[in-house]
Amino acid sequence: AAAAAAAGGLRRAGWRLWRGRAVVRCQLSPPRRALQASAVLRRVADEQKEPLASSPQQQFDSHPTDHQPEQEPQGPRPSYTGQGGQESEDYESEEQLQHRILTAALEFVPEHGWTAEAIAEGAKTLGLSVAAAGMFHSDGSELILHFVSQCNTKLSELLEQEQKQVQLGEAEKKPTDQFLRDAVEARLRMLIPYIEKWPQALSILLLPHNIPSSLNLLTSMIDDIWHYAGDQSTDFNWYTRRAVLTGIYNTTELVMMQDSSPDFEETWRFLENRVADAMNMGNTANQVQSTGEAVVQGLMGAAVTVSNAETSRAVR
Amino acid sequence: VPAGGASLRPCSTRVTLEGVNRPVIDRIIRVDHAGEYGANRIYAGQMAVLGRSSVGPLIQQMWDQEKDHLKKFNELMVVYRVRPTVLLPFWNVAGFVLGAGSALLGKKGAMACTVAVEESISDHYNSQIRTLMEEDPEKYKELLQIIKQFRDDEREHHDIGLEHDAEA
Repeated sequence: AAAAAAAGGLRRAGWRLWRGRAVVRCQLSPPRRALQASAVLRRVADEQKEPLASSPQQQFDSHPTDHQPEQEPQGPRPSYTGQGGQESEDYESEEQLQHRILTAALEFVPEHGWTAEAIAEGAKTLGLSVAAAGMFHSDGSELILHFVSQCNTKLSELLEQEQKQVQLGEAEKKPTDQFLRDAVEARLRMLIPYIEKWPQALSILLLPHNIPSSLNLLTSMIDDIWHYAGDQSTDFNWYTRRAVLTGIYNTTELVMMQDSSPDFEETWRFLENRVADAMNMGNTANQVQSTGEAVVQGLMGAAVTVSNAETSRAVR
Repeated sequence: VPAGGASLRPCSTRVTLEGVNRPVIDRIIRVDHAGEYGANRIYAGQMAVLGRSSVGPLIQQMWDQEKDHLKKFNELMVVYRVRPTVLLPFWNVAGFVLGAGSALLGKKGAMACTVAVEESISDHYNSQIRTLMEEDPEKYKELLQIIKQFRDDEREHHDIGLEHDAEA
């Protein structure tokens, strides 16, 4: 049954690979379900109506608080902001507690890496026993996913702020290439405090059981950036743009890992070049299309001329 | 409701999305968008063959209505931040081929194709209306209105097709 729920979770997460604005939460397994390897990621507003969500619920009735937050209609924002008002008492859900522990644990990552030690230290600062780290997977996956999710939320808020400023006329609207550059830079800068340990995190994110979640987080972040950049495409461009930006983001992230220049200047220059390439790609595609159309028209004209010549010759 | 202007992103986008059942709405809008896109291409195919015949103006008229439908779904897609179907290039070709192919069978063929397609589209819209009514008629009032209107338009096309199918 646990395996079925895990498979269901993976299937769901995989299904939502390209979902826009997928706001992700790690739903973490209590010790009883520790055998379940993967963190099942869910969107808050999603799960209220999905039938798949009810099967884990039926079997684990003693943990109603895990699922209650989803019952209330909530916006896309998860309960990171501590809106634990579902229960009338001052009771914190297990989920919120886990968020708090992970957030506290981030402080210890530069020293201990993305490990259970960091989580244990984090639990200690909250006045909990180090055994609280047992709630989580031993490879630090949840900590990393939590961090990524937090960064994405921060980025969204930043972009929302900027958009408000433009609408109020307080700021100029940026051209697309600069907007993308700034957004990617802002997001990558959030890695700087943890840059020593980030390669380790990247490799953990690529573990098979983490891939649905990490891919989900990545695609929703990229979709967010394009949304605020003003992308309104409703055709295949929607996919092309996101694929291109994902490529830019990933390669820039890798460059950043190996960059030792002051304030990562090399990385930002690399980013600038890649974004410029992407812009040119659009122009080149248009040029190819226009040339193609011109050639076709030329051929049609030639065909008509020839057929007219034939006809007039035949008439004579 | 924000109309999604060229340069300004409506800041109420976030507000619109609060409390909306994303999976259901996403699916509805994506499928409807694909359907209208396909219908557009079908009529384009039919026009390519029968454009200069006696039914040309009629097909053109129905096509224009489909173009309006598509435009509306494009707007909705942007407002609700729904991704388009990845099969768009396929519908592009398949729709055109279906339209042109049925038109090559003659006016009757084209009309029969229209009748069949419009029948299934209106059934489809009907089931979506049912779904939305079950969910929350108040919350989705605007979307319901749009879909109902389009369902009526498609029914009309279906009836026109029947009329001309019998005559031609």
